[in-house]
Amino acid sequence: MATVVEEERFPGHPLLPYMLILPSVAVIAVFLVAPFLQSVQDSFFASTAFGTKTVYVGLRNYTRLFESSDFRNSALATLMFAGFVMVVGLSFSLAVAHLLNQKIRGQGVYQIALIWTYALSPAVAGAIWALMFAPATGIVPFVVAKFFGGYLLNWMTNGSLALLVVSAAATWKMLGYNIVFFLAGLQNIPQEYLDAARVDGAGPWRTFWDITFPMLSPTTTFLLFVNMIYAFFQVFGLIDIMTHGGPGDATNILIYKLYRDAFLYLNTGAASAQSCIVFVVISVAAVIQLHFATKKAIYAR
Amino acid sequence: MKRRNWLLTGLAWALAVYLVPQAALAAGKVEITWWHAMSGSNGKVVDAIVKDFNAAHPDFELKALYTGSYEETLTKYITAYRSHTAPNIMQSYEVGTQTMLSSGAIIPVYQIPAKVGETWDWAQYVIPITHYYESDGNLWSMPFNSSTAMLYYNKDLFAKAGLDPNRPPATWEELEAYGKKLLESGAVKHVLSFGWPDWMFEQMFAVHNQLFADHDNGRSGLATKVLFNSEFGAKVVGTWARLAKEDIFIYGGPEYNANSAFQSGQIAMLLQSTSSLRGIAKGSSFQVGTGFLPRFEGYPRGNSVIGGASLWVTKGQSKEQLRAVWAFLKYLGQPKVAVEWHKGTGYFPTVNSAVQELLGEGWFSKDQNYLTAFLQILSGRRDTAAATGVRMGPFVQVREFERTAIEKAVAGQLSPQAALDEAARKANQLLADFAQMNR
Repeated sequence: MATVVEEERFPGHPLLPYMLILPSVAVIAVFLVAPFLQSVQDSFFASTAFGTKTVYVGLRNYTRLFESSDFRNSALATLMFAGFVMVVGLSFSLAVAHLLNQKIRGQGVYQIALIWTYALSPAVAGAIWALMFAPATGIVPFVVAKFFGGYLLNWMTNGSLALLVVSAAATWKMLGYNIVFFLAGLQNIPQEYLDAARVDGAGPWRTFWDITFPMLSPTTTFLLFVNMIYAFFQVFGLIDIMTHGGPGDATNILIYKLYRDAFLYLNTGAASAQSCIVFVVISVAAVIQLHFATKKAIYAR
Repeated sequence: MKRRNWLLTGLAWALAVYLVPQAALAAGKVEITWWHAMSGSNGKVVDAIVKDFNAAHPDFELKALYTGSYEETLTKYITAYRSHTAPNIMQSYEVGTQTMLSSGAIIPVYQIPAKVGETWDWAQYVIPITHYYESDGNLWSMPFNSSTAMLYYNKDLFAKAGLDPNRPPATWEELEAYGKKLLESGAVKHVLSFGWPDWMFEQMFAVHNQLFADHDNGRSGLATKVLFNSEFGAKVVGTWARLAKEDIFIYGGPEYNANSAFQSGQIAMLLQSTSSLRGIAKGSSFQVGTGFLPRFEGYPRGNSVIGGASLWVTKGQSKEQLRAVWAFLKYLGQPKVAVEWHKGTGYFPTVNSAVQELLGEGWFSKDQNYLTAFLQILSGRRDTAAATGVRMGPFVQVREFERTAIEKAVAGQLSPQAALDEAARKANQLLADFAQMNR
């Protein structure tokens, strides 16, 4: 057996690989790392709106945040929101994808109908849901009032309802994306395994949990991660169109609160501190998820 | 080599063609820019005014640029100011007034005439409007688009419930009685809603001549403490919470969300900005009536507060630019232009001569609804800080606290007093921070 020799990949040009990745590194450094470091620094300062005066305040921005009930409520709302989007959204998407994977007539039509929600802009999706649930004019409150003896469904005053509606809208918006991936995952499961299970006498339920679900785990892990990022960072548009974080801050999730502190209230220090906290939380969550994912997910067949 | 020459010549030509007219233009003209937040039909009126201004002033070239909502415009302005690329003129909403006053980035408009060697008669502007933007008796920004709030009501629904369609409720007590009648008649399931709930809350203080914050509403010095969790504040929010319980009031969300309910006849009354008048009058299939903001009996009289935005001038401009800026600000005050602005947008004309012209041509008698808001601000008090409106550094944020308090109280989550106390506590911390940073 020949010993493995470290082979030079770019003979005579030891620096070439570094040169080749330099543009990417430069872009990342300028547009991601530098602003990040800047906001870490900003989180220790308070400044006037026009930046005419900047004062070092140490950890005040952080202690204020942890003391503030607004921040705690916001964090809680974010967790519930993200939980809904991830758990309900993914379960529902998987169920729908499973149905779509059957051999039925007009399969293509159903697939497109269920996938197109992803193509809508958040503004349009938000407007649709806001109109559907408008307390005085929307179709949903109207139907609810018809069937439940005039019960007034008003999400403009009912915080829990507002959070539920916003979560549902966000989930609905992401449905198409999740379904596409689950569908692809399902279609990748070799038919022989399913046939073998059936021959061994496993029912559809058993087949699903013992064959389909484990074989889907790479897809599920990926989607969990994407949906978490989505729920934390990409729902600004929906919230802004639908509730502005209200009523009573019930839907003021972290990313929206951060936007308002930074760009509406011009409070850079507080906003920077929040972005650092969100960064830490997301990093921890990502590490945990990837750790479990690589342990549990079955990548090889 | 030959080919390279050819290329170079081509490049030179292209540059020349591109640059020469610009240079020729720039040589004769002073260019100034204006960032504004007027979109839609209001934006079109702005463009028309700018075009006419440029046509009438061959020496100046004013470029107006829509830079997004009020908040976005202010944020962009701040960023631009920090990088020395700020426009000459910027439109800021009324809640940004203290931020602009404390910014150190602007020249107060009252100082501009002297800088360009002119004198100016400031008395020609409509007084309750100028008072809002004054500091120490001088105008710091040029009033541009000013509005206030009023009551809109559905005359058809009033008639259906047996109410006089020409008599809107003047007080909250009356409004409640009307509301009960409207509910009993079955004409509507809810009676009243409003836009900008936070602003309506502030309006109530001004209309009853009650101070909203200390230091004369932040007008004799920086406000350090809000006063809205007073007995009066609790009475206002308490009334709204009670009306909500009686199904008379239905909370309609921030800004303009409640308009659709009014326009579709689901509710009979709406408190909203006067800037909605054109839209509501055009988009409703029923007779629209208007009235003053409802009052509480037994409280002193104040005035409704001015909202909207004004124009701020960036400091550090050349004299020529400042002259162009001043020419434009003066131009906006010409009766013809102010009338065009009012008719096109529904915002108040800001100069007295324009008001006279409108009265002269019978504009207000053609549509009484345009007169209501005017009568309201002109019949109110103009001599107290409480009636002029509050000024606070972190106003935008305090407004959110107010809105949250109202939402919590109306939903029955907290008592009106507790909700307001919570909001006041948060607001006071921000005010203290602001005062500390801007001392």
